[in-house]
Amino acid sequence: MLSEKEQSILSIRNLNIWYGEKQILSSLSFEVQQKQVTAFIGPANCGKSTLVRCLNRLNDFIPNFRSTGEILFNGIHLGASTDTTALRKQIGMVFRKPVLFRCSIYENVAYGARISGVNQSVHLDTIVEKNLRKTGLWDEVENILDETPEQLARGQQQLLCIARALAVEPEVLIFDEPCGELDPIETVKIEKLVRDLTNECTLIFATNKRRQAARVSDVAGFLYGGELIEFGATEKIFTNPQDNRTEQYVTGRLG
Amino acid sequence: MNSVTTRAERRQEIVLQSIAFIILGIAFVGLWHELKNVRATGGQPASEAILLSALSSLFNNLYIVLSMSLVAILFGIACAFYLEEWLPATNWIRRLIESLVAILTGIPSIAYGILAILIFFSYADTLKEAIEAFPLSETIGAIPSQIETTVFYAEALTFILMVMPLTIKTTQEALRSVATPIREAAYVLGASQWQVLTRQVVPIAFTRILAGGCRSMSRAFAMAALLVGIYTWHYTTEPGGMSGRFILFLSVALFLSIFSSTLIWVHGSDSAQHS
Repeated sequence: MLSEKEQSILSIRNLNIWYGEKQILSSLSFEVQQKQVTAFIGPANCGKSTLVRCLNRLNDFIPNFRSTGEILFNGIHLGASTDTTALRKQIGMVFRKPVLFRCSIYENVAYGARISGVNQSVHLDTIVEKNLRKTGLWDEVENILDETPEQLARGQQQLLCIARALAVEPEVLIFDEPCGELDPIETVKIEKLVRDLTNECTLIFATNKRRQAARVSDVAGFLYGGELIEFGATEKIFTNPQDNRTEQYVTGRLG
Repeated sequence: MNSVTTRAERRQEIVLQSIAFIILGIAFVGLWHELKNVRATGGQPASEAILLSALSSLFNNLYIVLSMSLVAILFGIACAFYLEEWLPATNWIRRLIESLVAILTGIPSIAYGILAILIFFSYADTLKEAIEAFPLSETIGAIPSQIETTVFYAEALTFILMVMPLTIKTTQEALRSVATPIREAAYVLGASQWQVLTRQVVPIAFTRILAGGCRSMSRAFAMAALLVGIYTWHYTTEPGGMSGRFILFLSVALFLSIFSSTLIWVHGSDSAQHS
């Protein structure tokens, strides 16, 4: 019998994606295990973002988007009839660029709770404080909760985005190159946070920085030209890759 | 990636635009035909005089111009929301309407206003019958009795056709100006489409929608001012007979136009600070 840590929360079977006539991803199959960090690495335009955006059905907004294959979340097939609003409450996402709403820091974190109908300030206060503490931002913003988040540094803004995503209490949290626009010190903070978060949720991490994937992930997948070249334990991918292209990529000779 | 258009889509686009062009072409040929009739009976200027006095009695009324353009603007905004937020960009109805809007907004209000009024006034009686056969007309038709109802319907339609395309266009542009990342950021937190619209999109786009509405209303007032002016110059013997109204309408049109530009300008520098 599988232990809780070994259960797969997302199963992707034979996934193909097209934008118009152009095929972006072809025949992807893999499993994402619960409470692990799964990273996807690969050069720019290899389909990392498309892949992770597929999992919370964010690609639905793109005209000409078409996909075949199966995505199972907790064993349930995600099809046309899936309630995407409910799905996105369970599968959260953090983008490359910190996008904050034009309201106070407090309201940004409370957003998820508010749209779910929580309005009592006692509950909201708890949610905001708990999630800001988790991201280590509480001490820095405790006194400026009612001010706009624009005054914060980029890294702090990204942490705030993570706090906002965590406040929805997702089962899976997707990071789409969260450190793409951050400096090294801020990057270290986010990477450390990602490691800590494995206690609460499953994490999926798309990045084009090889070393970053090696540092944060348990399982890694190498995408190249829309194909999943290799998928397995991070250690194995980085030290003993099976495919020639993976080896070239992790050693820096490809991409 | 979003701008990938296949050859088939381009072909479809051309077909839709041709259909839009043909619809408008037929409308204008019909109009020309009617104008010829007006001119043919024009030996006795009765029809023209009746027409212009009817115009003056209606367009002379500030409240009617105001309320009609307001209704047309609200309807246009609703249309734009439906087109932009609910219909996919590839939907043929949406693209047909967008083609029509693109053609109609390009016509200057003076030409458009007068021509549209002529065609509707020619068919005013038929129009009235058609509208009154409609079950809701009891409610809609609650109009002050001193106004000729025939002309009223014609005027209402003119307003809708003149004001709506511009409102649809400006509202759609306002909605498009809300960056996709903001929408996505709200969607990934589990917000429904309605919540994203009311909490993110409308607050950001509001100024631009308002500015677009003002621009459309300015257009309506400019047209009313012109019609009133034409009547004055033609049929009033005493100088300054209706010029007060003419100047009022022209001022309102100018004010709304300037107000709308200012809104956009202030909003522009405001959002530049935030990004």
